[in-house]
Amino acid sequence: MTMDYDLGTDAGELRQRLRELISTHIPEGFLGACTDDPRDLATTESFCKLLASDGLLALAWPKEHGGGGGSVWQQTVLREEMWAHHEPRGAQYMGINWVGPAVMRYGTAEQKAKHLSAIAAGEVIWCQGFSEPEAGTDLASLRTRAVADGDGWRITGQMVWTSYAQLASWCVLAACTDPNAPKPKRLSLFLVPMDRAGITVRPIRSMLGPHHLNEVFLDDVEVSPDDVLGEVGDGWRVMREALAFERVGIARYARCESLLTRMQTALGDDWDKLPESIRTRWVRALIDLRVARLLAYRAVSLQDDPSAGAAASAARIATTTCDQQVAELLFDVLGPEALDSGSSAPLHGAIEDHWRYAQAATVASGTIEVQRMLVARETLGDHG
Amino acid sequence: MKTALPEDIAEFATVATKRLARFGGPQAALRAETEEQLRLEARAAVADLGAFDLDVRSSSDDLLAAAVLCQAAGAAALPYPLVEELLAIDGARLALVNPDAPRIEHGDLAGDWIAADLDGTRYHVQPTSRTSAKLGPFLVPATLGQPDGTVPAADVDLHLTLGSWRILGAVQQSLDITRQHVVARMQFGKPLAEFQAVRFTIADASVAARGLYELAKYTISRTESAPAQVRSADALILRLKAADTARQVFRTAHQLLGALGFCDESDVSVLDRHTQSLIRLPLSAEELALRLTAGVRGGQLETLFSDPVSA
Repeated sequence: MTMDYDLGTDAGELRQRLRELISTHIPEGFLGACTDDPRDLATTESFCKLLASDGLLALAWPKEHGGGGGSVWQQTVLREEMWAHHEPRGAQYMGINWVGPAVMRYGTAEQKAKHLSAIAAGEVIWCQGFSEPEAGTDLASLRTRAVADGDGWRITGQMVWTSYAQLASWCVLAACTDPNAPKPKRLSLFLVPMDRAGITVRPIRSMLGPHHLNEVFLDDVEVSPDDVLGEVGDGWRVMREALAFERVGIARYARCESLLTRMQTALGDDWDKLPESIRTRWVRALIDLRVARLLAYRAVSLQDDPSAGAAASAARIATTTCDQQVAELLFDVLGPEALDSGSSAPLHGAIEDHWRYAQAATVASGTIEVQRMLVARETLGDHG
Repeated sequence: MKTALPEDIAEFATVATKRLARFGGPQAALRAETEEQLRLEARAAVADLGAFDLDVRSSSDDLLAAAVLCQAAGAAALPYPLVEELLAIDGARLALVNPDAPRIEHGDLAGDWIAADLDGTRYHVQPTSRTSAKLGPFLVPATLGQPDGTVPAADVDLHLTLGSWRILGAVQQSLDITRQHVVARMQFGKPLAEFQAVRFTIADASVAARGLYELAKYTISRTESAPAQVRSADALILRLKAADTARQVFRTAHQLLGALGFCDESDVSVLDRHTQSLIRLPLSAEELALRLTAGVRGGQLETLFSDPVSA
């Protein structure tokens, strides 16, 4: 059998269907849920319910849990089309992409009943409490303590950078249940409602816009054994395995390809008048995006293969660096206008928006340094 | 979707790599700079592998076999114009040239030659003699006659594509040599591979090489099915990416091997010197990028959002 790069008829049909849904239900100039305009958040909430009613929100999930039972290539198309169109699922992707799958694998029957159908229906937003002021990439060093109290625990500590914490009704919270245990056995994961007594959220103003970054203060928050996801002391393993569900990461190449296409259309014949150096950078950007897409497809095709190694990390390095490359290219194309934002700015502000978010591409969801460490470990072994 | 090489092709690649290693790898290429006979032995080695029975123009299986053979040839810096002979026309080897400065790799070998530029314009060609250059030591300056018809665009595309697989092989081999070196070489009491700067540099080179490999597989998998203009753009894209990747990986190899990498006793030196002709000719990477600019608005540089190009 020869090589074949066709995503399949069902994936092609899904792409068409998603584009039609987006064109009908998402307003022109939409730049995601987290803007200064609260109508954008409302747009994502109604769009998620629409996707859910078609079995498209939790496309990857088994049908028994309210999912669509879609193929990995349909999931790939969903990732591409959603990100290309400024993620009209808003804050829902976290619940869909890994909280739900983690509950499926490690949750109790009660937890599955309580959470899975709600996530699949687009009715609930989740946030994750993993980062602390003193522990970011080094997750196993979290200091937030869960101190035993009767059958349960009381949690005290501080999380930071917590996306969507103001919007979320639930949080997957990591806390240290045994500071004397070996590092991999110190943490436990808790599923905690955000309205529980002792939780305070403080938004952090940032270049990314509202809702992306928050501090979450935990003051003697009471949790019970029913709130634990997986085994007590097994949080590090659950977290690592759960995050592997989204290890291929965001299809950033799709947004970049979309922006370049839209910019090219907007320029029309003026594209030919761009300086030669810009036009050749444009060519190289398109080539690098093709490579990033192919690396992502390779990682997807290996996702159930234990020998996949660092394929996903390689794909993430390629796509996150493309994000920044395209951001700079488009700014150089626009010149001073690039700094304009809002609906009167070029592409309704999408280029200015992209540049700001691209700064986070190599930081969020696993820094590029961590991805390089993983690629190097596969290439060179465990030295260092 | 199936992104891995078919099993039979992967096995052929292994056999080809072993056979060309037995021929002598890059060190044989080094000796071939002064020992004429070795170039004929190089031809015999690929002939043993059935290279010249492959029908690269009309059999996709044969084309894929030719691609992995070119990859193995690149890894060995094989001193023979393999791509040129695989695409021979009526027994004459086909060389891709820049008409402004025509040079033909191994143009001094006995046999007939046809030259073509990237537009497919065909020329009678008169190779002269080798110049003992360090970079591209088998390059032979040539004189072109007046344009004399055309060669099929598909031949130009295959030439660029198979040449890119040669570059891919050289890139992968150089990276592997570098990997072995940094694991073995001790500095400040520990292997170079324990320094994070070294690890990150290797990681970046590895991602670049992996990306080139995926692009090479993708490009060759659709040479038959893509519309002609898209196929031509695909070939230029692959060659441009191959040239850029080779420059990055060779630079990495030289930096991490230190002075050893400049010595001809290191295969990196030979691979780099001998691959320069493919990296720079028939056009530089920048000139390839400029040629591709026309394909941006025409949609030949396909993306997820470009309109289909008609066949």
